[in-house]
Amino acid sequence: MSRDPRGDPSWRRQDEAVEMSQINPGYLDDSIGRDPNHQVINMDGRIPLDRRYSDEGTGSGHSWARYGSARDAAELISELPSRQLDRLVSDTGKSIRARRKSQKTALHGSLRGFPHTHRPTNDLTNSMARNEELMDELDGDIRTNEVLRGMSSHHLTDKRQIKHDVSEKRKERTLSRKKHHEKLGTWKHMKYRVGMTWIHFKNNLKEFGYSLELWKSLMKKVEGHFGTGVTSYFLFLKWIFLLNIPVFILTFGFVVLPQILFRYNQPATTVTNSTNTNATSYHVSFSGEELLTGGGWFNDTELYYGYYTNLKVAVPLSNSIKYDMNISKSYKKNYVEGSSTTSFYNVTRVLCGWDYNITSKQASDLKHKSFYNEMKEYLAGKGKKTKEKELSDSCKWFFIRVLTNLIVLGMIGGAGYLIYYILDKNLSESDVHIIGELTMPLVISSIHLVFPFIFARIGSLENYEKPKHELYIGMFRTMLLKGALLGILVSYWFRRLPGSVYCWETKVGNELYRLVLIDFIFILGATFFLEFIHKVMANYCCTEKLKEPEFDIGRNTLDLIYSQALCWFGTFYSPLLSVMMIVKLFILFYVKVVSCLQNCRPSSKAWRASRTHTIFLGFLFFFFLLTTVAVAVSIITIKTNVGTYYMRIVMVGHKEMVTLLRHQLTMEGKDKAYLLRKLQKVRSKKKEKLVQLGQGPGRILSGTAGLREPPEQGGKRIFTRKLAETASASMENLAANGNGTPRSRRHQKK
Amino acid sequence: MGSSHSVFSEQELNDYQDLTYFTKKEILHVFKRYKDLYEDSADENTKKTSSLNKDKILKLPELKVNPFSDRIVKVFSSSGDGNMTFEDFLDMMSVFSDGAPKNVKVEYAFRIYDFDEDDMISDQDLKEVVDRLTGEQKLSKDEMQQLIDNILEEADLDDDDSLSFAEFEHVISKAPDFINSFRIRL
Repeated sequence: MSRDPRGDPSWRRQDEAVEMSQINPGYLDDSIGRDPNHQVINMDGRIPLDRRYSDEGTGSGHSWARYGSARDAAELISELPSRQLDRLVSDTGKSIRARRKSQKTALHGSLRGFPHTHRPTNDLTNSMARNEELMDELDGDIRTNEVLRGMSSHHLTDKRQIKHDVSEKRKERTLSRKKHHEKLGTWKHMKYRVGMTWIHFKNNLKEFGYSLELWKSLMKKVEGHFGTGVTSYFLFLKWIFLLNIPVFILTFGFVVLPQILFRYNQPATTVTNSTNTNATSYHVSFSGEELLTGGGWFNDTELYYGYYTNLKVAVPLSNSIKYDMNISKSYKKNYVEGSSTTSFYNVTRVLCGWDYNITSKQASDLKHKSFYNEMKEYLAGKGKKTKEKELSDSCKWFFIRVLTNLIVLGMIGGAGYLIYYILDKNLSESDVHIIGELTMPLVISSIHLVFPFIFARIGSLENYEKPKHELYIGMFRTMLLKGALLGILVSYWFRRLPGSVYCWETKVGNELYRLVLIDFIFILGATFFLEFIHKVMANYCCTEKLKEPEFDIGRNTLDLIYSQALCWFGTFYSPLLSVMMIVKLFILFYVKVVSCLQNCRPSSKAWRASRTHTIFLGFLFFFFLLTTVAVAVSIITIKTNVGTYYMRIVMVGHKEMVTLLRHQLTMEGKDKAYLLRKLQKVRSKKKEKLVQLGQGPGRILSGTAGLREPPEQGGKRIFTRKLAETASASMENLAANGNGTPRSRRHQKK
Repeated sequence: MGSSHSVFSEQELNDYQDLTYFTKKEILHVFKRYKDLYEDSADENTKKTSSLNKDKILKLPELKVNPFSDRIVKVFSSSGDGNMTFEDFLDMMSVFSDGAPKNVKVEYAFRIYDFDEDDMISDQDLKEVVDRLTGEQKLSKDEMQQLIDNILEEADLDDDDSLSFAEFEHVISKAPDFINSFRIRL
């Protein structure tokens, strides 16, 4: 082991060089930095022993106070391979920022010192003035700011002084440069301008974000009372809430809006005269039952996929992009940082032991107590650490654990079978219509409520060494349960439904809506019972046995993850589900915060927020992948009625065509009737006239003689036209021959 | 907020924004909290420039229950005795804010835990830290010694019975919870 040589005190006396690899690789000894001329690592990687202890002992004569040595040490530290990894982890990938960061650490190395004895500012100003990059006409200001910001050796007042002095010097430089007619390239100007606009943009964005910080005061309250653990749950909730908003915007924009626009542009006839049951029928009564079952009226609205045409890949895509960024950042941070070979348990507990967020006396007392207890336990336990575990003991525990795991798997299997049985039996057989449809969600939610507690109980029986392991195993089992049930549901839907129901996507959407709703109700109910009633009981009736409840971070977060997974899956079949999710999360936040502040007490156990945060993100991501895969599978393998919409459009179009043609036909018929009447009138009038004027019927006959000819071309239209022409011609004749009265009569008739 | 804005010149606000991790709005918010600590009706300009007594600063709710509050105030005070001007206060809040990078926080954490201010966290310093953390109950002498020994065994790599900044930074950077816990939000 790397520490073996060091454990033996006599070793120190030996005049032996130390293997660099035996010390933590990448660590550089202080003493190396003290001598600027000394090469960092000798050829064979050994540090002569006399160098190592040259400045041992006294604090005040310490060479850290010397400017040069601190600078070298800091510079060297920044070049270490492990620091490169650090930089890699914290890098956001933007090239400007990346460049700046590397420059910053280099600058840091050369300018940073941290004796906090108050050094005059001139020193620093002069050394900064010597640095070319800081004196750069365009970027220098920004760079100086960044360097100064990070310096811990000076107070803000001094920093301001330095900043002004440095900028004075910079101005002098620029002037002298301009005097000598040196010009800066336009490229540099452009880069500078781009950089400045970017910084301004970022600042504005931060200002904007600050002013509309959601739920800030409430979260601060929770933080003050409960510390980082519980806060992480609420942060997670807020993050998911914000994640759903762009989803909603996208779905609304691309899918719902065109549909609404289309509907409003439809001619009025189709809406009112429609006899087709699939078309919009606003007449179905909107009762409370339907709100619950999501059926009926909702069926015909935008709520269901059946209305929509193309797959909006945009939604899962945007989700996954945003999500990947977050999870990879968090994972890298925690994996890289958490996976050290040596355990720093003691140091971390002591030096990072205090949560600076705490503001309430109660929480701080609790923190003190928990720290004390933990240290006591740990120190007592350390003595026993070396005791060898007997073989029989470990065998026994091994078998017990196998048994419990089998029991857990059996329980999950049983639950799955139950769900399958219910689905199969076709729920709508029950007497009361609502209950039939709701059976499945109710059963699922009850299982989700009860089983995790059973799992936790089983976990405590298994006697894990570290409570951390118990927690993780419990969470894993719960997730397995939720995933399994969801999987069974999904596979059932995909296998059975497409054949049996006409528009099965709508049915799936239906089911999901119910699931989400019942899930929400159960969460609210659980909050009420587990926290409020618990507290009431603890305060008023069973004061000895029960204490006030603690906020169960794990269970609550897993519930959130499950809800979000449902929402993701459902958004594909019923896009407005994301709206539901947003509303649900909003209400949930307030309910949980109020319940937490009123009913719960701070936990005495430490909660490793960042590590578990990565795990939760991992779960979320896993579910997201699962839902995406499921949806993809459904698209590919099942003959979806993607054409439903098209069919509907075509159907509607056909109907319209038919109506139009019918209309035309009737119009044509009316035309014909009108003209025939006209003709008859004309004839009868002519007859009268002839009789009056004594003219033979021949003239009229000759007038209408043309009609006897069979039409050579054209057909009906030309026939009617000819009819009209002859009628009007004969009328004119009559008018020419006749006197005023017939004309006036004619006019009237016209 | 509007009245506070007129107390600071544009130049001052820009400087503060450049040299701290705050936006202008946040700076004004910090000033508001600082003013509230004064408990008297002096005008704003006086409050901006004068130095606030240590006792009054320690009444800030975020610092009141903190076992290291006196050290924090001392480290950030430009006069070295714990009295802070507004700029000191702003500096302090900036370092504890979310915007401050980890290395800056680590540096200041080191200074806070270095009780005797000799640039090394000796075993005496560590004892003081543990004492403050346990609150009213104290560990026994043996237990304390054992704990200190454990810490030094883990973190002290050059065997000089104290942690230098490099050793401290090496350990603390690996702790994922450090950033979350070393934070004060106003």
